[in-house]
Amino acid sequence: MSWRIRERAPGQGRGGAAGAFAAVCLCWSAGAAAHSASDAYLDLTVTRGGEQGGSLVHGQWDIALRDLDFVLDLDDDGDGRLTWREVRRHREDIARYAFAHLAVAGGPEHSCSLKPGIQEIDAHADGAYAVLFFDVHCKRAPQRLSLDYGLFFGIDPSHRAIVVLHDGEETSTALLSPQNGRIEVPL
Amino acid sequence: MTHRRAANSSHAPSCGAVRAAALLTVALVVAAAGAAGRAGAEDAQPAALDAPYRAPYLPTDDAVDLQDVPSRRDPGVMEMLRSRKALESSPRDLSAALRLADAYIDFGREVGDAHYAGYAEAVIAPWVGSSQPPAGALLRQATILQYRHEFAPARALLRRTLGLDRGNAQAWLDLATLDMVQGDYAAAGRDCVEVSAGAGVEWGVACSASLRSYRGQARQSLALLDQIESGAEYRVAGGPAGYRIWTLGLGAEAAERIGAWSIAEDHYRRALALKPEDNFLLVGYADFLLDRGRPREVLTLLGAHSQSDTAFLRLALAKAALHDPDASRYAWIMAARFEALRQRGSDFFGREQARFALELQHDPATALELARQNWTQQREPWDTRLLLAAALAAERPRAAAEALAFVQTNHLEDPVIGGLAEELRTRIESSAAVLP
Repeated sequence: MSWRIRERAPGQGRGGAAGAFAAVCLCWSAGAAAHSASDAYLDLTVTRGGEQGGSLVHGQWDIALRDLDFVLDLDDDGDGRLTWREVRRHREDIARYAFAHLAVAGGPEHSCSLKPGIQEIDAHADGAYAVLFFDVHCKRAPQRLSLDYGLFFGIDPSHRAIVVLHDGEETSTALLSPQNGRIEVPL
Repeated sequence: MTHRRAANSSHAPSCGAVRAAALLTVALVVAAAGAAGRAGAEDAQPAALDAPYRAPYLPTDDAVDLQDVPSRRDPGVMEMLRSRKALESSPRDLSAALRLADAYIDFGREVGDAHYAGYAEAVIAPWVGSSQPPAGALLRQATILQYRHEFAPARALLRRTLGLDRGNAQAWLDLATLDMVQGDYAAAGRDCVEVSAGAGVEWGVACSASLRSYRGQARQSLALLDQIESGAEYRVAGGPAGYRIWTLGLGAEAAERIGAWSIAEDHYRRALALKPEDNFLLVGYADFLLDRGRPREVLTLLGAHSQSDTAFLRLALAKAALHDPDASRYAWIMAARFEALRQRGSDFFGREQARFALELQHDPATALELARQNWTQQREPWDTRLLLAAALAAERPRAAAEALAFVQTNHLEDPVIGGLAEELRTRIESSAAVLP
């Protein structure tokens, strides 16, 4: 039950300032909004391989293909269907874009970096997602690792990342938003 | 590591991510059962639904469709791209920003995809966050919040918009909408007067006609709406199509209030002929078909719209009504989507959740709780109907006392609501009779 009165183009229709509207309405039911907003899923597993210079944290990052399409135009032929060929062709763009929005730090002298791994596809309840695997390596193992997440926040403040952190038997969760985009991982 | 974050359909969507992970095994069993029984399912499924429960994989076929996305050939998408370019070339231009925000909001509403509300929010954020936000930016932000069912902050922003621009007819219209959704019909009546003053009599009449359909005057509402709809071609300047779609949609709802089914269907069909992809119309018509015992037509109507959660719920209801072997899979996915919403700490979508609990999970106690919470926010006929139905199913007729009073006070017409209300009143009276 909500609709739009669109402003009249100059010189069109009824005169007078009070009537400066033309009628283009759009829809009528504010009580029936459809729901799915943008989510990503970040699954982190503490591996503690740091002593040997190995991976400290292993990550799996699920990002909706339709979100990626919005920023990267993955649908090359513009037909409204993303094929595996199109997604595969853009794998490097996807990794570059995503990992530019996830920073890892272990504090000074630890020199930590994030190493992208393979990319796969996963089907979620609301559509297909690109799955980006990655590992975090540090020159010297820090006591605490922080990850700064900023994917899509600039273009969609309602984007959320749902983080699940596995450390041995323990599992914890966090919700990342533009107001709270940092994860601290104790090692 | 690769577990699915989703609830099992036999549970209310209330368990956490960790618990959801633990439920994976159960979920896989349900999925396998669904897949096994799926042979012979007739309709073509969108790619995203084909195998929702496996672990990450590498597709082996280059040509396989993974995901539907908006096509660049869609007029709405073209409008978005044009507006995006215009704003990129003059990023400080408020009117360019508002045009792009409108294009996003319109497209998101049409296809039932909440992502676009987020995109629109980002576009106007610099103005909304400024020390003196302009009325146009506040108005769009209010629209976005209203779309997300954040009614109280939306209302506050509309008030601020009107504080800056008392004659802003769109703000009055949005306020009228909000007041009707929340059942404050006296306030909505005052808003409609302001709409008429600011935007012209066509809008004022449509606003008041829509209000009448909530207050026992659905027949008059329908007559008025038909009159203004047929005159729209020559009276409403600028773009009559949208106005006609809207008044036809309102007419369909008014006809449903009085049980004029063939008139309602005719209105839905005429509106959909003008805008075949409109999520609101599709969902309204799907509800009509479900009520008429025509679930097979819902599958055809909504087959290509499974991305929208509101449409997906109707598909799941239709599958269940048909005893389709795929019904449990649809219910599972619906539960998973609600769970994803819960995990993101998202807004409360009580109407759909209550209906899901009542009609697909057969859990009247949960449905009643959800319907009661929802009714504190929304009081459209469907919200009232669900609360009454849940109270009846849960055998707690008194839990619907406030809604029953609301129906009576406002003379709300609706054959289904009328039947439920009568049954509930009888139960309340008979239980009162046995009390000492």
